[in-house]
Amino acid sequence: MKDLAPNAWWAALWLATLAVLLALPFVANAYLVGVGLSLLMWLALTQSWCVLSKMTGYVSLGHVVFYGLGAYLVVVTWQRIPLALAVPLAGLAAAAFAALVGLPVLRVRGPYFVILTYGLAELVKYSVMAGEAASGTASRILFGTPDLTVVYFMMFGLALAAVALLTWVSRSRFGHGLRSLRENEEAAETLGVPVVRYKLLAFVLSAAIPAMVGAVMALRSTYFVVGQVFDPMISVTVIAMAILGGGDNARGPLLGVLFLGLLSELLWASAPLVYMIVLGVILVVFVLLVPDGLLGLLERRRARAPLA
Amino acid sequence: MAVIDTLLSGQLLFAALVTGTLYALVALGLNLVYGTMRMLDVAHGDVVMLGAYAAFWAFTGAGVSPLLAAPLVALAGAAAGVALYRGVFARLIARSSPAQAARLEANSLLLFFGLSIVVQNVAALAFTPNNRAYAWAGDVIHLGNVSMTGNRLAALLVAGSVCLVVALFLARSVFGLAVRAVIERREAAQVVGVDVDRVQWAAFALGFGTAALAGVLVSALEQFSPFSGFPFTIAGFIVIILGGLGNVTAGLAAALLLGAIETYGVALTSANWRSVLLYGCFVLALLLFPNGLFARRLRA
Repeated sequence: MKDLAPNAWWAALWLATLAVLLALPFVANAYLVGVGLSLLMWLALTQSWCVLSKMTGYVSLGHVVFYGLGAYLVVVTWQRIPLALAVPLAGLAAAAFAALVGLPVLRVRGPYFVILTYGLAELVKYSVMAGEAASGTASRILFGTPDLTVVYFMMFGLALAAVALLTWVSRSRFGHGLRSLRENEEAAETLGVPVVRYKLLAFVLSAAIPAMVGAVMALRSTYFVVGQVFDPMISVTVIAMAILGGGDNARGPLLGVLFLGLLSELLWASAPLVYMIVLGVILVVFVLLVPDGLLGLLERRRARAPLA
Repeated sequence: MAVIDTLLSGQLLFAALVTGTLYALVALGLNLVYGTMRMLDVAHGDVVMLGAYAAFWAFTGAGVSPLLAAPLVALAGAAAGVALYRGVFARLIARSSPAQAARLEANSLLLFFGLSIVVQNVAALAFTPNNRAYAWAGDVIHLGNVSMTGNRLAALLVAGSVCLVVALFLARSVFGLAVRAVIERREAAQVVGVDVDRVQWAAFALGFGTAALAGVLVSALEQFSPFSGFPFTIAGFIVIILGGLGNVTAGLAAALLLGAIETYGVALTSANWRSVLLYGCFVLALLLFPNGLFARRLRA
């Protein structure tokens, strides 16, 4: 019974979040639906980030590159390819991009991997920017995008998919393989874990969803500025949410997203600089003092409780 | 033919030299801080940015010329480095177990990245996020058939001589030997009697001082904002990866190479491609040396 109690709490939190987010477009005004949409966006981004970075310990500071590529693809193909095709195509293209760069990139380890992914995302950003400038396009505007409710439920589907993906990976044999290479890559390889293939697969899996999220968010904003869809602060926010939550299953990111997502809603528009400072402080404090995140704190409290 | 003429002009060579020398100065400090502490200090470029602001206020507020401000700002930067080392890092190291220290090293990038975000945005709150610039020594000087502005010549001379002096100091003096020993093997250096603590605080002083000095020089050449420090960090990393950790002389050569790639690349394409070139070099350097900055040390 004692073991069941926390699980019941989690089930309740998931159900409550799900129910609120599902009901929102029918009962709330456009502003609140927008808030719900951005929570769903962060949920999908953070959960998909965890598939690579939490599971393998290869911390990516370049998750935004897939988001930006997805947005760019939908904008470029707008009114040439039907949306129902363009969004999954964006996901496929990002997965293909991950597969292409994955082998050399995943050879780089530790802090170098972190800064390499940042550099790669910036490289793609500035390349797209230079390409757009060369073709004389400063920004693009989309006409005839679907209305907010449709966009909202597309994002809802992506968030669900991301949670399902991370939950599946976290429980599967594949996930245990990823965990083993996180602890010690050489030892995992000796024991027969196909390290290179697993890392690459995790990277590819984590790339598709953010691209589709970027594609859907491009429909929401209806205009496209390269610097915005490739903003490195999106990657930083994702990392901060995941680290804040902690753990390597879908629960930690949920906590991080609910907390930081609502905070960003309060601050990002009105005081973006203050929001960034809070984000930086959270990063420093959690890396230094609470490396296991909120989930780790909860578990430690639970472990201590029977003794008291 | 026009392209060839541009490429062979002394003007471009001079521009490449200025950029390369400034990168060398930034990389020098990063090399010392990173090498002796083994923490990826991505906030290094923010010290450059703060140095630029210090020079800006000194010039616009009190009319102090950047040449005069340079030693003062560098000293202030060095003092800040020592204070940061004494106040935070020395305590952190003394307090943590070897396992914790290893974890700290692995997480140092996120830690400094968070710190960098805080510094940049606090600076943006305090100084506004707008670009700043001031005009100093913009007169054109003709040397042979190369014409240059006084501020660029001053930046080249100051940054170049500081780099050379520090490189000579590290190569020839006993203390320089101790610094290089700590960079290569901290524990072994300690065993043979190197005062690691002293080397580390000196590295912080020198590292932060040179970064602040680079900031002063940059501020006299181009406009800057609270967010313009990061590209210098990236350039510094490229230089260290190519030149090798702790190898200041090879770093000077690598910095000049990077300056040349950037300057000639932009001349051949357009200013829009500057960042593409910089990040392209960075990604390429890391992919070619996947063990990062340790590649050379392990091979040796």
